[in-house]
Amino acid sequence: MFLPIPLAGQGGPHPDFTGVWTTYTEPGQARGGGAGRGGGPPLPFTEEGQKKVAAYRALIGDSGATPGGFCLGTGMPGSMLGSGGYPMEILQRPEQINITYEAHNEVRRVYLGDRIVPIADRIPGRNGHSSGHWEGDTLVVETTHLVEQVDQRWAHSDQARIVERYRLTTDTTGAKVLVAEMTLTDPVFYTRPVTETKKWAYVPNGHLLPYECAEEGWRIHLEQLEKQVKEPKR
Amino acid sequence: MKQVRFLLSALALVAASGATIDAHHSAVQYDFTKSAKITGVVVRFQAINPHMRLTLRVTDEKGTRDLELEGHSTNNMYRAGYRNGLVKAGDTITVDVAPLRDGREGGYMIAAVTASGTRFGVQSAADRARERERAEGK
Repeated sequence: MFLPIPLAGQGGPHPDFTGVWTTYTEPGQARGGGAGRGGGPPLPFTEEGQKKVAAYRALIGDSGATPGGFCLGTGMPGSMLGSGGYPMEILQRPEQINITYEAHNEVRRVYLGDRIVPIADRIPGRNGHSSGHWEGDTLVVETTHLVEQVDQRWAHSDQARIVERYRLTTDTTGAKVLVAEMTLTDPVFYTRPVTETKKWAYVPNGHLLPYECAEEGWRIHLEQLEKQVKEPKR
Repeated sequence: MKQVRFLLSALALVAASGATIDAHHSAVQYDFTKSAKITGVVVRFQAINPHMRLTLRVTDEKGTRDLELEGHSTNNMYRAGYRNGLVKAGDTITVDVAPLRDGREGGYMIAAVTASGTRFGVQSAADRARERERAEGK
């Protein structure tokens, strides 16, 4: 049973998505990894999108380099579609919903109602700017002000617009499942909208772990300084 | 003592130049279809992200040397049984690693059995395949 929370000015009580969510596995199927950062069927790129993605892939070559390997978050929509193996935490208030993806501590803030930031005041970024509203029991999140990204599966331009529709449901075993239907629209990179459906399973009393990715680089830097002190240049 | 520093060989040059340290790398240099067990004494262990780091002192017919290993993220290892304090300097542990593709020593730590006998980590693809073959009577 989902506990509704009252939302003044938002049309009454709505489902509460608060909690920790992990990759959902259909009953009877083997548990898989978090889909989203890896491969998949070809996407309907425009010539320009294809060209930019190809140039990026040629640059990376077979090095296997990824933004994550350099402690950079995936960015939308990969941050959302790839979450699960590293879980996702949602903290919900009527006027703001915070979504934290454990890997790289990527945080999205979804503003609702009066909290929505005026368009002129939004700063572009890899996760863009998200505003939301309710349509019945469905939370609709619109994300704009993204920067061009060729370094994730769902490459996109800075003209990309992402709409997610979140709703709670239960599977055949009665387990709580969060479903998001995502539509990525980007006339610069895609010939038609790209859609994906993502599901998460609820983790009772779940906790996100800290993810301090840059510590390794800092420690290596200190080790090199120590080495220089012990072996000064002549 | 021979120091095997196979992961971070370029770092000294970077540090000397005063440039930003690049600690990161991908896992493409490891062969995850294979697995090997390495037993040694922990010289240093760092439970950090994006990869755990382990310096393991190994002694065999080739002599004694320190191997620098990396492994899954601390977060993933935590969910696979790792807890704070399980691995300490001076402990003798056995690690399951995916070896380096180029044949050098070392590898990517998939799992470990600690001094107290506690195992953490995941089963390697190679071990999963072997188990499947055993179950199928091959």
